[in-house]
This record gives sequence, C-alpha cells and structure tokens, in this order.
Amino acid sequence: MKTYFKALVLFFAFFYSNSNAQEFKLGKVSIAELEEKEHPKDPSAAAAILFKKGEVKFEYTSEYGFQVVTKVQTRIKIYKKEGYDLANQSVPYHLESSLNEKIAFSDAITYNLVSGKIEKTKLKSDGEFVEKVNKYWGRKKITMPNVKEGSVIEFEYTIKTGLIGSLRDWDFQLSIPVNYSEYTTYVPEYYTYKSNQTGGIVLKTTIEKNSRKVNYVYVQDNKDGTPPARSNEELNFIETKTSYSVKDLPAIKEEAFVNNIHNYTTSISNELSVVNYPNTPPKYYSTDWESVVKTIYDFDDFGPELNKTGYFEADVDKLLTGINTSNERIEALFNYVKSNVKWDDYKGYSCNEGVKNAYKNKTGNCAEINLMLTAMMRYAGLNANPVLISTRDNGIAFFPNRTAFNYVIAAVETPEGMILLDATEKYSKPNILPLRDLNWFGRLIRKDGTSTEINLMPKTLSRKVVNMGFAIKSDGSIEGKTRSQYVDYEALDFRIQHLLTNKDTYLEELENKNNKIEISDYARENDLDLSKPISEIFSFKDTKSVEIINDKIYISPLLFLAYKENPFKQEVREYPVDFGYPSVEKINVSIEIPEGYVVESLPAPINIATGENVGSFVFNIASSANKIQTVVTSTINEAIVPSDFYPVLKGFYQQMIDKQNEKIVLKKI
Amino acid sequence: MKFLLSSLIAFLFATTIFAQKTEYSTLLIPDSLKQNANAVVRLSQIDIVISSQRSMNVKEKRIVTVLNEKGERAIGASENYDKRRNISSIQATVYDNFGNEIKKIKRKDFKDQSCVDGGTLFSDGRVVYLDYTPIQYPYTVVYECEVETSTTAFVPSWFPLSNYYLSIEKSVLNVTYPENLGFRKREFNFSNFKITKTVDTSTQLSYVATSITAQKYEDYSPGFVDLFPKVMMGLEFFNLEGVDGNAKTWEEFGKWWSDKILVGTDELSEETRAKMKALVGDEKDPIKKAKIIYKYVQEKSRYVAISEGIGGWKPMLVKDVDRLGYGDCKALSNYTKSLLNAVDVPSYYTKLYGSRDKQNIESDFVSQQGNHIILTIPNGKDYIFLECTSQDDPFGYQANFTDDRDVLVVKPEGGVIVRTKNYENKDNSQISKGNYSIAENGDFSGKIAMVSEGSQYGQKSGVGSVEKMQPQEKEAYYKRFWGNINNLKIDKITFLNDKEKVSFTENAEISAVNYGAISNNKMIFAVDAFNQNSEVVKRIRNRKNPFEIQRGYYDNDEIAIALPTGFSIESIPNNFELNTKFGEYKTEIIKVDNTNLIYKRSIFIKKGLYKNTEYDDYRLFMEQISRNDNAKIILTKNL
Repeated sequence: MKTYFKALVLFFAFFYSNSNAQEFKLGKVSIAELEEKEHPKDPSAAAAILFKKGEVKFEYTSEYGFQVVTKVQTRIKIYKKEGYDLANQSVPYHLESSLNEKIAFSDAITYNLVSGKIEKTKLKSDGEFVEKVNKYWGRKKITMPNVKEGSVIEFEYTIKTGLIGSLRDWDFQLSIPVNYSEYTTYVPEYYTYKSNQTGGIVLKTTIEKNSRKVNYVYVQDNKDGTPPARSNEELNFIETKTSYSVKDLPAIKEEAFVNNIHNYTTSISNELSVVNYPNTPPKYYSTDWESVVKTIYDFDDFGPELNKTGYFEADVDKLLTGINTSNERIEALFNYVKSNVKWDDYKGYSCNEGVKNAYKNKTGNCAEINLMLTAMMRYAGLNANPVLISTRDNGIAFFPNRTAFNYVIAAVETPEGMILLDATEKYSKPNILPLRDLNWFGRLIRKDGTSTEINLMPKTLSRKVVNMGFAIKSDGSIEGKTRSQYVDYEALDFRIQHLLTNKDTYLEELENKNNKIEISDYARENDLDLSKPISEIFSFKDTKSVEIINDKIYISPLLFLAYKENPFKQEVREYPVDFGYPSVEKINVSIEIPEGYVVESLPAPINIATGENVGSFVFNIASSANKIQTVVTSTINEAIVPSDFYPVLKGFYQQMIDKQNEKIVLKKI
Repeated sequence: MKFLLSSLIAFLFATTIFAQKTEYSTLLIPDSLKQNANAVVRLSQIDIVISSQRSMNVKEKRIVTVLNEKGERAIGASENYDKRRNISSIQATVYDNFGNEIKKIKRKDFKDQSCVDGGTLFSDGRVVYLDYTPIQYPYTVVYECEVETSTTAFVPSWFPLSNYYLSIEKSVLNVTYPENLGFRKREFNFSNFKITKTVDTSTQLSYVATSITAQKYEDYSPGFVDLFPKVMMGLEFFNLEGVDGNAKTWEEFGKWWSDKILVGTDELSEETRAKMKALVGDEKDPIKKAKIIYKYVQEKSRYVAISEGIGGWKPMLVKDVDRLGYGDCKALSNYTKSLLNAVDVPSYYTKLYGSRDKQNIESDFVSQQGNHIILTIPNGKDYIFLECTSQDDPFGYQANFTDDRDVLVVKPEGGVIVRTKNYENKDNSQISKGNYSIAENGDFSGKIAMVSEGSQYGQKSGVGSVEKMQPQEKEAYYKRFWGNINNLKIDKITFLNDKEKVSFTENAEISAVNYGAISNNKMIFAVDAFNQNSEVVKRIRNRKNPFEIQRGYYDNDEIAIALPTGFSIESIPNNFELNTKFGEYKTEIIKVDNTNLIYKRSIFIKKGLYKNTEYDDYRLFMEQISRNDNAKIILTKNL
C-alpha cells in the first residue's frame, strides 16, 4: 500500500496556517530564569524542566514514503550540582535499516549569568556522540558545555522515522519538577492513532481539525520509453491536531513496595489503530482488547507456532502413556517442558527461533516455552490456551495496544477452574507463577482468536507456619528447635532465593539475620519435591535474646522471629502498596521457663484487624506450670492495598510489631 | 547387509558431528575442586607473544565447567576491542556432563556491544561476549580467543585464580618476547598456592598452577590483590596507542609521560591566565592561591568521561576544558594544573588507584598502573593532593578514595612514588552532644548535634551522602540510622558543612512515641538512644583469610537525659569499659539528681591487619559493645 500511495503522491508541500502564538520559544531565556536560586515549589529540586514541547508531524518523501517527524524542544534550569546529569542527554534510536531512523540535535545552548549579563555557549560537534549500543539500538548523546549551578540549558532534537505503528511515548512527569509540558500531534486523515494516558494528572487537551492542501508533482512512468509525464496535482485532506498541555508537575518519587513506578507516571502513548489510504479499504489494527489480541494471534510467530505439533508428538505420546486424569496430564506436561526446555531470559510474546528449534535446542524464549506447553496440552486433549500478560517491569497493561503485553503464559480450563502455568521458572507450580507475572490482568486467547480477561493476582493465602519450642536456662541462654513450613508463594520465594545458595553460606546468613543465633542439625524437607511444601528444621542456641536485670528475666516470646521494625516508615504514601500475593504467617511457640522462676507478667492477648478485610493479627498467650504457649497469626488478605489505606496499614503494622516485641517478665522465687 | 552399512555410516556421522570429548566429562573433576565451587577452570592457557615493541598477540584457551548458575561468570568469554585491538578469532563450544558436544558458538553468534557504562559518556571501545543459556548443569565450555594489538604498554597480568568460589585444575601462562625490549615480571602472593615456574629465560617465561581449591569470601578480608596470586609484567620499550615509549625506572616513566603524553595539552589562553591572576590578587601564599583556584575549578567544571583512542590516556586539551567546563579526571587535573601554573603555583599530574580499598602503585615495578588521576601540590616537605573531579570535596580532602596509598607523581624532571595522606584513627571522629527527655507515657523527645571529621566527614558530606539527599530519602536515612528508635519522627534536621575545617555537623530534633515500654507500673528503655553500634560482624565458620580494618574511627557522645517525674529509678546499667587490641570502648552514667542523668560513651577502633584466628575476638568485642549499647534502665512509677 505504501508503494501505491507513493506513486500517487510523489511530492508534497505543506502549508500550515499556524496562528497559535507560542508561549515558550527556544532562545528567549530571561534574566529572571537565570537568577532563580531554587525551584519555587520544590526547593529540594536539583534541576527543573522549565518547559518541554513535543510536536509530531507527518512528512512525505519520494524515497521513504511517509515518515514521522518528532521535534522536541526543552529548557532546563540547573539549581544544584546534583542536577548536572541533566546536562548530558541521550536519545535512543532504532538501527533497523528499513526504518531509516535519524536523530539530529540543534539549538543546544547553555546560558549563564555573568556579572548581570547573559552569556551563551553553544554546543559544538565535540560535545555530540553517536554510539552503537547493540545490534538493534543506537544512541545519540550530547553533553552541554559550560554548565554551572544556576545555568539554563536548551536544546532541540528531531527524530525522523519510518516507524508509524506507534509514536514515541511522551512523559509529562519526570524525576525533577516540570513547569510546563506540551505535546502536539498532527495526524493526516489516513492514519488514526489511539492515545492512552497513564498517571492521575489531568491534561488540558484540545483537538482541532484543519484542512490541508498539498501540492505535489504526479509522475507517470511511460513504459514505451518516452519521457515520464509530469503533472501538478493538488490533494486536500483533513489533518487532526491534538494538543495536550500541563503546568507545574511535581517530581516523581520512588517508594518501597511499589510494583513499577512508571505505572503512576503521567504520560501519553499513541498506537496506530486504522490506516485508511484513498481508494483502499481501511485496515484496522488495535482498537480494543479483542482486536489487539486478534492481531497478535495472527502474527506468524504466534498463532501458527501454536498449531505445530509434529515435533513433539512421539515424545508426548510416550510421556502420557498410562497417565489419564487431566490433572496428572497437566502436571506431567508442565514438568516435562520445565525440565527439557530452559528459558533464555528473553521475554516477548513472539517466538524467536520457533517452537521446533527451541524444543530441539532445549532452550527458548518465554513464547516458545509456553506456546509449546499450550500446544502439548491441547494435543493431550486438554482445554488449553495462551494468556498474554505484561510483566511487572513492563508496567500494567492499562490500554489495549500491542505493546501493552510483553509475555505469554499458558492456561488450562478444568472443571475445578482455571489453572495458570509458566514453564520458564523451574520452581513454579500450576497456579503459582513467578512474581514477574503477577501484574493485574492478562488476556486469554481461544482457538478462534476471541479473548477474555484473566485476573493474574493470587487470591489464596500463601502460608508460612512456624513451630518453635525452647527452654530458657537460668544463665539467660536459650536452647530450642524450630520447624518452618513454606507453602505456595512462600515456597516459591524460598526455593528461588535459597536453593542455589551454598549451605554454609545460607546458614551464616540465617544465623546473622536471626540475631546471631547458633544453628545446628539443620535439615530441609521436600526442597525439590514441588508438590509438597518446603520445610526447614533446625536446633538453635541463642544467648542474646534474654535480658536479666536484677532478679528478673525479660524476654519476647517470638525471639528472632519477631519483626523488629515497621517496613512502612514514610509518613505519607503516594502509590498503592504491592505485596505481590496475599499471605498468612502462623507461629506457635512453646517456652519452658527455668527452674526457680515464675511468670510475673505476660503481654496481653490481642486480636486486631485493619477493617475492609485487608489484614488481621491475633496474638494469644497463656502459661501453665513452667510452660508458656504463644500463638500468633498475621494475615494480609490483599495483594495490592490502595494508597489511601496506607495510614491504617502503617498503624496496623506498628501495633503488630509492638505486640511482638512486648516482654514476658519472669521473677525469681 | 544394506541395513548394517547404513547404520554404520550413521554412527560415523554421529561421532563426527557430535564429538564426545571424554576429557571434558565433569565426572573427572576431583571432589576437592568441587567444594565451595560454582565453577571449575579445567584449563586456562594464556599464550602471550610479544614480537616487537609494536606488536603483541594474546591467545587464550579456557575450559570451564560450570557447576551451577552462579558459576556462569567464570566462563569469561568476553573480549574488548577497538581500533588498535583486533579480535582475530573467537569461538566457544559447549559440552554436557559426559563430554558430548551440545553447541558450537561462532563469532557472529557472540553479542557485540559498546562499552559505555554509567560513568562514561562516550567510548569507542566495544565488547564481544558470549550469551549462552545453559540447558543443564554441570556443563563445560571450551572458549578460545586470539587478540592482536599494537599497544604493548599493557601486558595483561596473570591471575591464575580470578575469583572467589572458583577452583582451578590447571592454569598455564606462556610468554615469549624479544630479548631487547627489557621484559620484566613480578610475582605476588604465590606462597599458599601450587604454582611452578617452568621456564624463565631472556626470551621466555612460563608458569603452571595446579589444583587450587575454591576460596570462600569472608567479610573484612583484605583486598583481592593482597590475597590471590598474580604475575605482573611489563616492557621497558613499549607502545601506547601508537606512541612509543621506554622507561626503566619510575623517574624515566614519569619523564616519558610528561614529555610524550602530557606535552602540548596544557596551553591556556591569555585571557584565562589574566583572569586567574586577577582572582588570586595580592595573595602570596601558594596554598592559599591554590585554594582559590581549586574553588574556581569546582564551581566551573563537572565530571564527564569521554574515551576515544589515545584520548583514553591523553588528557583533553586544557583550552577545551576551559571552553566546555567539563572533562574526566585526566582533563580536570591537567586543567587545574594549568590554572595553578598561571598563578605560579607548581603542581604535578598524579597516577593512582582510586577506590575505597587501598591499592598501591607498585613502587618497585615499573609498568602502566593506576585507574585514576589527581593533582599533587608541594607543600614544604609535604604534599597536598587535590581531587579535581569533585565539585564538593574540601581542598585536599582524600579520605575513603585516594588516601593512604602509594601513587606516582609525574614531575617534569621525572616520576616519583609518594604516599598519600593517612587519615589516622582518632581523626576519623564523630563527636556528639545532645539531650533527650522521656515523658510519663514513655514518649521520647531529643536534640543532638553530631560533628563528623576525617573519613567520617566523607561519609556524611558530598555526592551520594545524606547532605545531598532528597527530603524523602533523608527521612528514610535517619529512620535507618536511628533504627533502634521505633516510631521515630524527624522534627528538624539542619546541616553545617565547614569545608575550611573539614567538619560536618548534623543538628537533629527527633521524637518518638512509646520509646519507654510500660508494663506493670514499670518503664524500660535503652539508655543509649542516639548512637547504638550498628557494625554487623558476622559469624564466619572456619575463617581462612586474615582480616583487616582499613580505617579506624572514634566516636564520643555526651547526652543529658531527663527522666519523667513521678518515677524512681529501679535499676541503671553499670559503667562499662573494654580495652582490646582492636580498640577501646567505655560508657558511664552520671546521676545528676533523681530525674537527670548524663550518659557518656566513647568508642575507638584502630586500623589494623589481623590473623584469621583473631576475627572471632573482634566479633565478640563488637558483640559486647552492641549488648552494652542496648543496656536498659528500669523505672518504677511512684504510687
């Protein structure tokens, strides 16, 4: 279709009626901007974007057809030395030759105030660098000259590309304050983009449609060898101008327990949804989840790969001989793929070398592995389908577009419900996915290309159960035994984190983490039998948990198992708290007190809850004769807790921690 | 008959395609080499052929069995190249557990990437590396590579043991060189390892190391370079990125560096010279003049590293730094040197290893050494060293990065080795004065001024430290710093950075609810609220390495404590004192009256290198300190 259009429109001349007076222009740096000592709204800011303007236009050349031209102008104020990083700018670009992507910097100038006068230093070629990062990506870099505290820097860059499937994302919000940001697209009627906004800040948006007249020379090649015929033509079409702007955006700040900060950043992305050239039927791309999924499904590296079965049939037939129930078949195939094809750490929903090669070479990307698994399960008569997802580092798939997803897993529908599988992680189990997969929603694709939404967040509580028994000696030392059992996600976490660690190193870590106890008789159960919870059992000696003051012994019943500090330290919270999965921890402690001592006081039992069924904490304690029994249950029922619930959550943790650290007092008789 | 023939052909075919190299079978590895090892180097053979002053060829063959995921780095299949360094061949073959070939990886299947990292803006260096996804453990990689270069200034050092958790079956080094280039070598840390020198003639050198068992990493170990064996090599007649050179002594080396590399880079415009003269005005004292110039450089410049060809060694032109206001350590040091020269203050370009771990330029082995450049100013018989890449460091401040080590000072008349400033134990101090009060409900409210000097100054001020943190990070920092106080609230923090005195003061006002835990008419809390020992000294089973405290320090606290009214003291911690070879610790509580106490605490840790067996004593010393820091006071409510 590009060639057809190229023949029709060989030469374009654009006439813009640009009456909109610009408020922000490069080159007009004021003395006031240079004199400013700190950001008026955020004095801690090391630098700020005074303005940033982006403009996306479509250009046509006879050589390349339509190209997208993105022009970005930026003015930055540097307040402090920590802001010097902003003087180094880097823009990545595709090296793929068919895209013919090019970047040029211009008007890069540093402004300083020197004895009341504005001094300009221009960027010369010695401050520009081009770097080939790898096979796919290059980077153009600049480093601004003469930058000091107080400098204002300005630069413009233009990216020209043949890539029209999606426009570059525009981030309004950055790690420094942004005073003004504006982003405008001019899209000819032949293209329709779907734009999506993330982040909670409201942008001022205007849309206008202008007619554009384009003059071009139409060249008719004559096949009989006579010179080509030229004629001047005129094309009229409508162009949509969409403009977004916003003032005074605060800097983005990182927080603990955040899934991916980019999910909460205000930005705009644009993805091509319709191409409608003259005299051609419109071609639709993504507009809703259904069509996004359909588009992906129709990719050569997706759907067709799913339908191949010949390469594994013989092996799978052999494997499944005598295995008849669905659940056993799922388990067998899942383990077979996990143990036979290793993940090469590449994400993506399209196959790289194809399922056949992956199977043969015993290594593949996530699409190859999980599509292969899906195909095997279908072959085995199971109702299996692939599920497109976005991993945590890719951000939440908020909007229907092809780039929203970056990964694929497998699902089987059984009478007992949906089972999700990801064979890239060797310690994963059916419905226990690696943490990277737990990112809100995925889309399940059926054989006919239709799709439905799948909730990826775990709903069942992952359990950790600890049974501990110890005796306090009259010299204040403690000897005891503990058995901890980890179930579901707790087991997955434990296996991923610790099974690879050398035993000695692990024990040293464990001793040092747990108030420097001395561990002996350490053993693990079911470390590699994924069908069972993993357990660890050890004996310990602890000389540091007991305090003897005068004739009294002070001790917290949970010893080293108690949380020492609140993980939530900040006063305010901007983003939701992401625990990954809901969990419950149950600790049973049985304490034997030394001879000659009696219980003077015990911490009072409590039973607290956060409300809205987010979390609960039950602490029970009782003594009889020379024994004290403690049972503590801490539950978090939600994987994700909204930020407005933060104060409650923080308070809940504090109460929990305070209670865990309260002391039992024993008295000498 | 036909059938038999075809199966025979198939068999032959199979053996030629998937050759089985039984010598690569992992079953042959002795158990002793598997202990604590993530990977085993079955063979490492490095053949270095120096054919002339301008030509060196390095051939490497490495056969590595990777036992688990963590051993993958040991394959070491990665090679740098640039315009003067050419990879003439590189390939790898992977074998399974039994020595059956799984995969062959050719040059085009290696990844090829630019070498730019976080600290460098641009470099023309590139790296080729193997990106292989293992399909099983253990597996064996045979890696072969050949590199040609005209730069002979860097004859690669030989590290038979290159990492922790790695064992070596056999490692061979062969070097050949013409007689007339002045080849020399130096051996380090051979004593605890099986290394034999097999050839040592005027044109050839060979070593073989065998059966080196895997070493475990242990905290507080001296640097890698002080523990593991190494052979350093160098030429008297060498070539550096196209420039010939020769040096037998550090003096000659310095002279060459000055004449061939630095020459012509230091030209400064008349305008800037005049500006510098105006800046120092009538000041006569060279050090005071240097301070003025250093301040000027700090305000004007920033650190940007650009590495292209000889530019990787030669500083950018001074007049470019003057115009652009940026440069790397070489450029900024050289620039400062020119500015100082304009006001008649002599200074010298200085090569060294910049790192927290102290590493010397080998004073009796002349070769290309060092990874950083600073500037040295003579000060009577002494020297002052300037870090020119920092926009924050006080004049002459060196702790934690360039202190207490041998460096090469490049004087125009020749190079000399000089020791940089040692930050002595007691100079690295934190002196605190403050007070706190406990309310009847156990709430805490306190005020403190902490003054840090010496190496402790560097931990508080400058890039990456609390001084430069954003409010949120700062809050998190103090909540960690005073992690012993639950529910901590920072009410106010102000800083005073006195660069002249090199002292950093933190003034803090903090509060916390429930610091005193109340139960049954008693209140319990730790007396030492502000400075609990946080040094974690891990238990290490069967420590092998000596341990080192690289920098000593000294903390002294004096805190006035106001107890709540309506309570009387039931018990108070005893005064406590420890004196060991590692240092001293002392706490004292003075009862002023019924509700007022003064708490005094001092801790002094000495720099030192100790035997492995002394580690546990140090750990126990630190534990006693932690325990005493946590000593509690008990109050009883007056009824």
